[in-house]
Amino acid sequence: MSIECHSRFSLASVIQWVVRWTVCGLLLCTCMSATAADRLVVYTVNYPLAYFAERIGGEHVEVHFPAPSGVDPAFWMPDAETVARYQRADLILLNGAGYAKWVERVSLPQRKLVNTSSPFRDDYITSSDDVTHQHGPGGEHAHAGTAFTTWLDFSQAARQAGQVAMAMKKLRPAHAGVFAENYQRLQRDLLQLDARMLEITSGKPDLPLLASHPVYQYLARRYGLNLRAVTWEPGSYPDASAWQVFKSLQAVHPAHWMLWEDAPVDKTRESLLGSAVNIVVFKPCMNRPAQGDFMTVMQANIKAMAEPFNVPH
Amino acid sequence: MMDSLYIAWRYVTWNRGKTLVLIASITLVAFLPLALQALLNESERQLRTRALDTPLLLGAAGSALDLVMNSLYFDDEVPARIDMRAPAVIDDSGLAYPVPLYVRFMARGAPVVGTTLDYFEFRGLQLAQGRQFALLGEALIGAEVASRLGMGVGDSLVSSPDNLFDIAGVYPLKMTVAGVLADSHSPDDRAVFVDVKTAWVIEGLGHGHQDLAKTEDSSVILRQEEGTVTANAKLVQYTEITPENIDSFHFHGSAAGYPLTALLVVPEDDKAAARLRGRFIDDARYQLVRPDTVIDGLMESIFRIKQVIDAVIVIVAIATLLTIVLVFALSLRIRRDELETIFRIGCSRMTTARLLAAEILIIVVASATLCGVLLWLLHVNSAALVQGLILR
Repeated sequence: MSIECHSRFSLASVIQWVVRWTVCGLLLCTCMSATAADRLVVYTVNYPLAYFAERIGGEHVEVHFPAPSGVDPAFWMPDAETVARYQRADLILLNGAGYAKWVERVSLPQRKLVNTSSPFRDDYITSSDDVTHQHGPGGEHAHAGTAFTTWLDFSQAARQAGQVAMAMKKLRPAHAGVFAENYQRLQRDLLQLDARMLEITSGKPDLPLLASHPVYQYLARRYGLNLRAVTWEPGSYPDASAWQVFKSLQAVHPAHWMLWEDAPVDKTRESLLGSAVNIVVFKPCMNRPAQGDFMTVMQANIKAMAEPFNVPH
Repeated sequence: MMDSLYIAWRYVTWNRGKTLVLIASITLVAFLPLALQALLNESERQLRTRALDTPLLLGAAGSALDLVMNSLYFDDEVPARIDMRAPAVIDDSGLAYPVPLYVRFMARGAPVVGTTLDYFEFRGLQLAQGRQFALLGEALIGAEVASRLGMGVGDSLVSSPDNLFDIAGVYPLKMTVAGVLADSHSPDDRAVFVDVKTAWVIEGLGHGHQDLAKTEDSSVILRQEEGTVTANAKLVQYTEITPENIDSFHFHGSAAGYPLTALLVVPEDDKAAARLRGRFIDDARYQLVRPDTVIDGLMESIFRIKQVIDAVIVIVAIATLLTIVLVFALSLRIRRDELETIFRIGCSRMTTARLLAAEILIIVVASATLCGVLLWLLHVNSAALVQGLILR
């Protein structure tokens, strides 16, 4: 009798257990699929915008930045399949200011495009440098036209983030509160970077600086840097003509610090040190960093900038 | 009665020539006004359906009819151009979204429609094969174009020269078919769709060529100054956009000045449409039209012309009927001896009249049958006929 009771009890428990977990599983699947369907699919043309979108959208967005690591997204050309993925997105975030020339050569749905720098399009900097050069697998290119590293002016970056938040709110009004809250946090962080940069650079406004690449125009304008650029690559040693240009420039612009997009090769570093020029690595962070995120990279950049301006970290 | 019909049948088959002429005359007189009405009804249906599906059209001030016919039915009468500032005007209003259209060029006899991907979503067009155009130089072709030219995904088609006698004009562009649209029974079936930027490349506003800074052929360089290299006409421009040369393609001038023939304006609701229309009432540069209103005006004109044609047909019908009466009257005179013989062998005058009535009945029934068959054929093919003959 007791055995029979025990087996009946056991069978009922098993059935109860199966039903309970099946129901839970079904509910979980429904919730997950609803969340996935509700998620805003966002594609961006550079990493800073992807970071802003991730920070603002949180769990309500699915952010994609498909440029492979190691390429300069500004001069990258996606293949047709990647363009098709951009076409299927809910929102495509453009940097504007002529960034990502490939956008001109592909077909993207206009209604999904948001030019995040449009609020300050009248303040774009026109660049005159048109030296053709090559780095990475992106092919040869020149920086003539409009300067595009707009986010290196952190006040502009905050405005770009504002455009991202507005676009998300328009598409998913149900999550407007979350987007607004996340944007405020991001804005606060970006404006802190801005304030710190202003604080560092305000002490020596005339300090001559060099840049290895013409990508710091907005940084220089916002923070009053006395900056002149050459067109060198961190991964290769400059040739004799490049050194000639450098020497001529140094003669009229006696800088002892040079901003680099990434740490240069040792030989370049030694030669520069021989010319009494120190290295400051200030990464524009166009592509997804191997470690950390946009904020940690920018904090490291600002920390590095403290040295030439002789400001304690 | 059957006897009368039998004898009448023998008579009309014996006089085949006269019978066929009579049948053809009666058939034509009956068929022409009915066919005209059927074609006009179908035209009206097609024109109005397309027009009603298009809430508003923005174009340069000028002929509203040219604007509508070019933008909706890809008519080859190109309206005055607007430029890329117009989409910004609509965008900035916050009341509608614009879909640009640049319908100016042809490829293998089909209109090339330069637009954006929003067009396909707006019209609800589906792909039968392939994918959307993604890269500069890719095209989508309508179902009819695909069937007429026997083309599919991966094939190429070349844009027609703008002017046959302008040998120094824009280069034809070889476009790759990325996809084929499913049949939509609309003018979209007869068109080739490209990104509006590809249309600008066809126009010559954008192009790709060898790098002047690296060319070893000095004969292509006209002038070289500090920072500027000017090429002469010998410089080879690419006539096909490939993954290898796409990076060399670029546009000259301000993008705001690039041309469009029209904007499809899709308002948020009726209120937004009304507000938007109000803003363009006194605009000297643009006209914002409701295509259905323009098409109603066109149909009124067509129906006025139809009334004249109807009057002509009535007169022709009366003349034809009189001729038929004359033919029968003369026939009776020719057949006097034959009818006298019928009377003498014992048939009454009524029987003679029945014989003649049966002959007329056979001819009328044959004409009605033929007319019915022709009308049925017309009905079956009316959509294609209207698209091919009227809305070309």
